[in-house]
Amino acid sequence: MRMQLIVISITLFFLVLIQDVKAQVRKLASGFQSDQSKRDSTEIEIDEYVRPDWKTIDMDFLSSYYAQDGNNGAVTGGIGTEQLTDFTQKMSIRVPVTPSISLNVDGGYDYYSSASTDNIDNIRSSDSASDMRTHGNIGATFELSDTRTFGFRFGGSAEYDYISINGGVNAAFSTKDQNTAVQLSLQAFIDKWDVIFPRELRRSSSVTTDRRNSYNGSIGISHIISKRTQVQFQLEGTYMNGLLSTPFHRVYFQEQDAALIELLPDSRTKIPIGFRLNSHLTDNLILRTYYRYYWDSWGMTGHTAQIELPIKINRFLSIAPYYRYHTQSAVDYFQPYKEHTLSESFYTSDYDLSALQSHAYGVALSYSPAGGLVKAKLPFMKRPAFTIKSIDVKYSHYDRSTGLKADIISLGIGISF
Amino acid sequence: MISDDNQILNENKEIMNSQKRIIKGLFVLIFIGIMSSCSSVKGYQKMYLNEPCMALEGQKLDYFEINFETYREGASGANGGKVGGGCGCN
Repeated sequence: MRMQLIVISITLFFLVLIQDVKAQVRKLASGFQSDQSKRDSTEIEIDEYVRPDWKTIDMDFLSSYYAQDGNNGAVTGGIGTEQLTDFTQKMSIRVPVTPSISLNVDGGYDYYSSASTDNIDNIRSSDSASDMRTHGNIGATFELSDTRTFGFRFGGSAEYDYISINGGVNAAFSTKDQNTAVQLSLQAFIDKWDVIFPRELRRSSSVTTDRRNSYNGSIGISHIISKRTQVQFQLEGTYMNGLLSTPFHRVYFQEQDAALIELLPDSRTKIPIGFRLNSHLTDNLILRTYYRYYWDSWGMTGHTAQIELPIKINRFLSIAPYYRYHTQSAVDYFQPYKEHTLSESFYTSDYDLSALQSHAYGVALSYSPAGGLVKAKLPFMKRPAFTIKSIDVKYSHYDRSTGLKADIISLGIGISF
Repeated sequence: MISDDNQILNENKEIMNSQKRIIKGLFVLIFIGIMSSCSSVKGYQKMYLNEPCMALEGQKLDYFEINFETYREGASGANGGKVGGGCGCN
């Protein structure tokens, strides 16, 4: 059913695309128009352009289907299936209250089925085989002046064994010419586990807390270098404490056949530093680059680099291939299946925390005509009731050096009221 | 024999450290150079910079990918993705 929905959405996208290509071909075919008729058509375009006003409500519908497979499941101690599928839908809406205040609301759900978590109790197709996570946030943005904005938000998420609430504030300041800007953000997440152990370890296992808290602060500096190029530097710090291991992850040791549950330190500090450079190389070719250095207090360091090349086919249609490379060292507490010893204080066989390299590549298509794709107008209304402004599709493939492979297809529809 | 090995290890470490210092120095110089660029771009000259694909944050469809990369890789952050909430245990 989910795949069908996605296939229908993509078919819809390509139908729209074909219509646009047909229109382009027709335009070319009728190429040699008189100067007068060209002038007329330009005037019509200008007359039809509706200037957006502050009352416009913007809404985005986003969907994705994700599938992965590998053979290093953490639930089974670093061996066994990592098969997972996840269907996600998210909606975000921006409602202007006054010209300088807007309300931001978003919400959605992830429905996943996982062969890996199905192994918590060693019974196939059991209750742990699938779950749904729902989430929602509400916030507001205040434009205090042309150069200062302030915002806040709070929200939460819930799944079968995990509840999280969050809150945060952000502010942005820019220079008078708006060529340099500083963004500040502070966030806190207060989470609670409903602790579930693997079936055979339920009597012998315990944890000291069921809480997990995360505090995050970030500072970003963006700067315009030229009419076509801009850069951004971002420094972030995250401090986490509480139950940072996953209570249903098994770990196997050299000395014994019986497993224990994963055990990790109760605090972790993460410091990523990111740098972006975007440049409009030609009228039709854009270069988007990103680099990140990562360090954390568990002994992991990492480097991530991404390059994206959006190509504008015409004013409304663009295609953007991309490639991303990531490498990281293992945390100090990682060992594969049966390589840990009982003398160690902390242990995990979760391959997400192992030394790895990953390659991701894909392509995004974006279609956003100036007047919108579809306009729904009621007879008694001057303005359209709503306009479908844009439609985006993206496909990505992900390969990890541990053998995990994943594919993700995403669809986004932008609507304004 | 062991002292020779240690000496070689120490020399290698020193070479690695000096290389790291050079890379860090270069990064800082490039960063300062870029941020102190003084050509002022006027509002009406920002036609290219204002296009959606020039935005200095991830595009809206990147949201899902950034999320799964956050779970599948221990290293995360500084990319506009989530920094907390949700166990990420699947």
